[in-house]
Amino acid sequence: MPGVDHCLQEAMTIPGAVGASIVDYTTGFPVATTGAAPNADHEGAAAGTAEVVQAANSRSLFVSAIPHDLLEDLIITTAGGYHLLRVVQTEFDSRLVLYVWLDRVRGNLAVARRKMQRLADELVAS
Amino acid sequence: MAATKTAAPGDLLAQIADERQTGALVVGGHPGGAVYVFEGRVIYAESPAAPGVGELLTSSGRLAGRTWQNALDLGTSTARVGRLLVEQGHLTQGELELCVLGATYDAAYFVLAAGTGPVEFLPSATHWLGPVVHIDTAAVLREVRRRVKLLDDIIPNTRIDTAPVTPVARPPRERVTVTALQWELLIHADGQRTPADLALLLGRAGYATIQELRRLAALGLIELPEVRVPENSDFVRLPQHRREVAPVSRPAPATAEAPVVPVISGPAPDRHPPPDSGPPSGAPPPAATLPPPAPPPGEGNTGPNRLPRLARRKPGAKLPKELAGIPDPPVHQGTDEVLLKRIRTALRALR
Repeated sequence: MPGVDHCLQEAMTIPGAVGASIVDYTTGFPVATTGAAPNADHEGAAAGTAEVVQAANSRSLFVSAIPHDLLEDLIITTAGGYHLLRVVQTEFDSRLVLYVWLDRVRGNLAVARRKMQRLADELVAS
Repeated sequence: MAATKTAAPGDLLAQIADERQTGALVVGGHPGGAVYVFEGRVIYAESPAAPGVGELLTSSGRLAGRTWQNALDLGTSTARVGRLLVEQGHLTQGELELCVLGATYDAAYFVLAAGTGPVEFLPSATHWLGPVVHIDTAAVLREVRRRVKLLDDIIPNTRIDTAPVTPVARPPRERVTVTALQWELLIHADGQRTPADLALLLGRAGYATIQELRRLAALGLIELPEVRVPENSDFVRLPQHRREVAPVSRPAPATAEAPVVPVISGPAPDRHPPPDSGPPSGAPPPAATLPPPAPPPGEGNTGPNRLPRLARRKPGAKLPKELAGIPDPPVHQGTDEVLLKRIRTALRALR
């Protein structure tokens, strides 16, 4: 049975992964973290992550009018890295995202996205 | 150490963590609650203002009430309710951990944010859920302080967090955008339910609830709780009843009745005078006595749902968009999915 720590360990096996965390995006709090964080500050990174997710969730440009067409991924690329956010869909009220920071040179965006999708699903599905 | 004393719960919790104790820190007052510590690390927290793991899992439909009750009956005495749910396959370990983490931080805010209050430490007390997660106590305390500040950044009015919620009768502007949770709160707020009631009712985190309520207050969509004047303490203020914006039993607009204005309809124009030939209030309206013309195809105004026809419609002219056919009842795309989820939940409960 994969728990939260196991999920983060698996996330760190994604090629190029530098750090990973699970963030509560209502409060901007890292529920669980592993590895490195931008500016060596997991809590700061989580607060920023939450702001990005809330912005995407509240701007009409990204909010779909179709029922159940919910936000899945947010991908931010910089010259040095990839920042991937995957919404963890739980049936109970939680509002969490899985965040993985990848090294740009070693990381592969498509591979990482698919792996994160699987991890986020496995975390909550039996 | 078991004696009740008045202290800052946060300071006491930090001291307990330093000494690596095990037990429950029970905080009185409103809302109050308890933080459970195992060898100096927080394993659970509960407060009447925050839905617990059981409420979150059952009110969302993730677990059937019977499943939860069975786990409680079996596991309470041995403090392994959480492990039982995972072992019996009702929850994944990930779901349980995430739910417990969320509920713990949520309740910890309500227990620890209060400045001072009656505090009691019950050594070696443990929670029936059993240790599912172990959280660094310093992280909990830091997060509670941060959450207090987050709320004050929205609007610094702590009365919103406890007072019954009353939506304003009229929004202060023409166009209002609310989030899904804000909408849930607004339609369930009736002037009597407190934020804690709403959180329990909706199965939403208590902190997320008051966060959205503060935002609604900042937007002017809920009424700010009045500050109670001490001189008026003889009076009991009755809960304010939610005012109706519009009467519920509004008469339905009459449709498909005989048109009040004469209608010049499309086909067979040669048998009618041209549309602009006479004033519409002239003697017998020419079109009223004629059989209804065959509607042009594709305009959807056939059958019993025929719309009131328009005056002075030119042959071949199209209906305005808002009248062009009664729209089909919207197809709810989620129906099957919702039904299947309910079946799945019911089947899981049978396992």
